[in-house]
Amino acid sequence: MGGSVFRFLLLLTALEAAAAPPPIRFEEIAAQSGLRFELQNGEAGGFHQIELTLGGVAAFDYNNDGCTDIFFTNGAAIPSLRKTSPKFSNRLFRNNCNLTFTDVTAETDLAGEGYAMAVATADYDNDGFADLFVAGVKGNTLYRNLGNGRFAAAPLPLPDAPKWAVSAGWFDYDNDGWLDLFVANYVVWDAATEPRCGTPERQYYCHPNAYQGLPNQLFHNNHDGTFSDVSAASGIGRQIGKGMGVSFADFDDDGLTDIFIANDSVRGILFRNEGQGKFTEIGLEAGVALRDDGYAIAGMGADFRDLDNDGKPDLLVSGIVNDSFLLFRNLGGRKGFEDYAQRTGLLMSTRQLTGWSLGMFDFDNDGWKDLFFALGHLMQLDRYLGRQSALPNRVYRNIAGQRLEDVSSTAGPAFQVAAAHRGAAFADFDNDGRIDVVVTAVNGPAKLFRNVSAGPAHWLALRLRGTRSNRQGLGAKVHVRLPDGRHLYNHATTAVGYASSSEPLVRFGLGTNRAAAEIEIQWPSGRLQKLSSVAADRVLDVTEDGEP
Amino acid sequence: MKFVLAAVLAVVLQAASPGQPSYEKANALFVAQKFAESLAAVEEALRLDPKLIPALTLQAKLAMAANRFDLANRSLERALVLDPQAAYAQFLYGMTAYMNNEMKDALARFRKARELSPKDPRVALYLGLSTESVGTPADALALYQEAIRLERAAGHPQADTLLPGARLLLLLGRLEECETWLREAVKLSPALRDAHFELARLLLKKGDSAQAAAEGELALTLSVGSTPDPAIHYLLIRAWTQAGKPDRAATHAAVMRAQER
Repeated sequence: MGGSVFRFLLLLTALEAAAAPPPIRFEEIAAQSGLRFELQNGEAGGFHQIELTLGGVAAFDYNNDGCTDIFFTNGAAIPSLRKTSPKFSNRLFRNNCNLTFTDVTAETDLAGEGYAMAVATADYDNDGFADLFVAGVKGNTLYRNLGNGRFAAAPLPLPDAPKWAVSAGWFDYDNDGWLDLFVANYVVWDAATEPRCGTPERQYYCHPNAYQGLPNQLFHNNHDGTFSDVSAASGIGRQIGKGMGVSFADFDDDGLTDIFIANDSVRGILFRNEGQGKFTEIGLEAGVALRDDGYAIAGMGADFRDLDNDGKPDLLVSGIVNDSFLLFRNLGGRKGFEDYAQRTGLLMSTRQLTGWSLGMFDFDNDGWKDLFFALGHLMQLDRYLGRQSALPNRVYRNIAGQRLEDVSSTAGPAFQVAAAHRGAAFADFDNDGRIDVVVTAVNGPAKLFRNVSAGPAHWLALRLRGTRSNRQGLGAKVHVRLPDGRHLYNHATTAVGYASSSEPLVRFGLGTNRAAAEIEIQWPSGRLQKLSSVAADRVLDVTEDGEP
Repeated sequence: MKFVLAAVLAVVLQAASPGQPSYEKANALFVAQKFAESLAAVEEALRLDPKLIPALTLQAKLAMAANRFDLANRSLERALVLDPQAAYAQFLYGMTAYMNNEMKDALARFRKARELSPKDPRVALYLGLSTESVGTPADALALYQEAIRLERAAGHPQADTLLPGARLLLLLGRLEECETWLREAVKLSPALRDAHFELARLLLKKGDSAQAAAEGELALTLSVGSTPDPAIHYLLIRAWTQAGKPDRAATHAAVMRAQER
């Protein structure tokens, strides 16, 4: 009897070993690929809050050549907030489709002005070319992609006073086929009147509690290249926060896209889209406003996707040391969310981390979305913790939607290098079917983590083209049924993480499946489109079709 | 024997200090929370005897009460130079670092305090809290257990000492052990809102939303403790929602929103 049990255990171990996927691995190739960018925060010993929070980066295909390009936002001199040197320039790098990049900032007119924080990309005018919104400390700029390799500033309604925006995102809140703009504002800030903390001999960055929060903004697309500020009319402007990351999903499956905003040291905000241009804030009722013990973490980045393949978008939020990162599991409909960070192991393993941008992407294409966190303690924490503020990033493997395993230590030598990481954008830059990551670091070089995970896993990416829906199909919900019976879910969004913007493609890891048995696309227009027996390992262009 | 004699001699010398009466007056004023008067008295004590260690530690406590950790450190460092074995001064020295969130220093100072005073449960507790803050939960839990053991050995177990360990056990998902600690905390201090709040959190985690709501509502009626009202309201929103009583949840959400404005 004992012998047979032993043999069974041996067999089980062997099966487990055979089933264990190869490790998620990255190479860092920024320098060798010509992606030379250093994020400059302009610090000069003044301990200004803006020095901590910059670093947005975008992954988007500005010239429609099928290769994803990279745009970096950048800081400026303080207190002038002017880009007094080329080192402060925002930069656009064209992907040459051969794992090299060329700096095309000058020819595209995107060097910018002011102290930039964040970027959000989408084709807001439905002309087939992705545009750019750059958010900053004292003003935002909307750049229209002219389609000829250049960009031009486009009008936006001017606010009564410039607001410090840290993140932004595009979504179609009224499903009219045109993308609207959400801007997450942080705190009231002015270099001259900013509070000072500590003593003259030992100054430090003030806690966000020393600053007054701001309302967020919503701009409705007027279909003619202009926007109307509907912050007040929609209810968005009524809620004061200290906005950091913003992400979108139709969490209650009512066909209307909802908004989550991670706030710094005040509670998180969930705006339920009620239709008719109105939003209701339900963060408290939904159970995503605070940590389990009622504590408001220093919320940073956010992503709003289905982690456990149950068809309901879950919510991931990063925070600072001793916060733990938050993971909320969507219970469906209007049942709200439950804490999922503890059960999955994320809570304790992130307790000593400070996270900024993040993303839920299937790095090993096994059909389960994994987690990536861009990390770096606040600069002033060195002396408190007795450790370096710089941190290496982390990647967590999703084990069947039940456990999140920190697999950073096997992710490659370059992945272990610490820095003050901030923004991160996700895309398949080399079109090999594995999702890569570009990451910024304060006063350091940007990193391009090329995903070199081994293994035979298959994949599929959908590049959507809306006809009645917005051109990029942002907000479209995609359900994939695999031949092995599994169901996968994702949706189209570029609003991922912190201050950053990722590719609009909807990606799926298919594991050992060489095809998707069926794909259902629920377009924002209401149309439902079905595809059958779709072969794997390609980017599939899908144009909106079918009846609503 | 020599050590005992030296200790007796030290006590006699201390008692003979010209600053002693002023110190005793200052201490009484401190207990009465008359901080300004206490400060004046302690300064008088130190004028009369600059080496009076209890006065230096009291001066540090007064500085800490005024959030002047720089001054507190100065007093404590002076005390510790005069008597490196001054256990209470060493503990307070750790506290100044802990309250300033300087965990590296806090750990070193509390470790020294623990060497000087291995039977003091406060030292074990705060060394545990510092240890937990820097990410070593297993060591922290051992220290919490030690703090409780010391209190039990002295015949004075405290709910406040049980709670940090219970919170950590909850984080670690060790729900049954957590419940044991929390039930004891509630028994020891039935009027402590923190204990009922933590018990409510545990019950919610275990799926007993009705009992969680009951404990939460009870916590809200109690004034002793440091758990803020919004944390309890937030728990009650979730507990009542899960218990199928959205109207009760809505009431607590409305209170929270009103407090936010």
